[in-house]
Amino acid sequence: MNETPNPVTEESSERYKTLIVVLTLITTIITAVLATLQADANIRANSANRDSQYFAILASAELHRSGLQSSYDLNTFAKVLLERQTELMMQFTALEMDQSGDKFGNALSKISALAAKARADKLTSFSVFYTDPRYASKTTDGTPDGEAYLRDSSKLANEIVEKQNTAADDYHKWSSKADSYVGVLTVMAVAFFLFGLAQALTGRMRLVFAIFGMVILLISSAWTVLILVV
Amino acid sequence: MLKRFNESPRLDVFIAIIIAVVSATTAFAAWRASMVSSAAGDAIRQGLIDAVKKQAGSSEDWRRTYEEAGHAQTYAVALAQVEAFEKSSDKSAQAQGRNMRQYLLPSLQLVTELTTDDKYLKEDGTYDLELRFADLEAATPDLTALDPTASFKLSDQYSSEQRWLTVGVILLAISLFWLALSQLSMKRSRLVSLAIGIGIYFFGLIWFGLVELIFFSLRGGAL
Repeated sequence: MNETPNPVTEESSERYKTLIVVLTLITTIITAVLATLQADANIRANSANRDSQYFAILASAELHRSGLQSSYDLNTFAKVLLERQTELMMQFTALEMDQSGDKFGNALSKISALAAKARADKLTSFSVFYTDPRYASKTTDGTPDGEAYLRDSSKLANEIVEKQNTAADDYHKWSSKADSYVGVLTVMAVAFFLFGLAQALTGRMRLVFAIFGMVILLISSAWTVLILVV
Repeated sequence: MLKRFNESPRLDVFIAIIIAVVSATTAFAAWRASMVSSAAGDAIRQGLIDAVKKQAGSSEDWRRTYEEAGHAQTYAVALAQVEAFEKSSDKSAQAQGRNMRQYLLPSLQLVTELTTDDKYLKEDGTYDLELRFADLEAATPDLTALDPTASFKLSDQYSSEQRWLTVGVILLAISLFWLALSQLSMKRSRLVSLAIGIGIYFFGLIWFGLVELIFFSLRGGAL
């Protein structure tokens, strides 16, 4: 008994073809959107990277400037203290010389005390620790507010570093997103391959590959949403 | 009749020509988007180089300012000491003051412009360091004129253009996909695919042209 196999009818070869075309269209649109998102994330990462480098340069320059200023201010302050101590010491010495009857020594010590006083007075006018009300002592024999000075001198640098950190964080965020989008695009290529295969096949196998493609498409879409949200 | 038209070799050739044109346009669009991306990168690089140069110049000017401030302070302190000696009733102090004024002060004064130019002298006897810094900055106009933010603004513009050009490239790629589909298909859907492909192609082309036109005019005629 001879049995001839059923010929593949035109109807069966066309079955699910429209579905696959629609799925391919959806995949194409999602891929296009993804490619745009990837390009956008890449551009944002580049801009943030640029900003973080720019702020790093600014922070470095500001730290250098504030270092020079602090060095000058603290040096001046130290000179004031030195000259005040010298003045006091020379006055004591003059007193001792006077008590011991050494007039020459007394006069010499007095001149040294006079010179130290003149230098200390002048240096005081150069020191922010005596002239700036933010740091000058509120009492006559009190000490200047060193903490306030340090806080203020590093304020600008800290602000720039804060901006630099924000830009660096942005760079990592967008760079990571751009990399993830590349991953999704790769998976989308698999979906394209499966739909292409489904288009070439007929009957049940076409449906099977179409379902595989749909699963990949759904996973890719979910992954994209996850990248967008996080 | 429609079936015959679908399977006609002339349609095959027509679609092939369209695909060739769209492929060439997509390649050109991708090249242009890449050029714009490269221009954005160049602007960023230029901006960062300018920032380093400008800040290095500025740092050097601050260093000179504080170096001169130290010398000026030494001069001012010596002058105060001289004045104190001159006012003293002690003859030895007076002689010391006289000699210091004659021999020491002129030497100390020559070290920095802060002490020689009266415009830097403030009412309280200290010196205007900000003004000195501004003058030092003005002495190097090539460095002071550098503006990294202008380069960054230009790079932002190129990046923005690249973003929209990418959309145009993707539209052209989509049209290529549909045209390829119409070339492979022999059924009714062939004409539909062809129509979609051509439609998306022209939409992508107009999009690309508009984006180029807008950003070209924004940059004042610079590509």
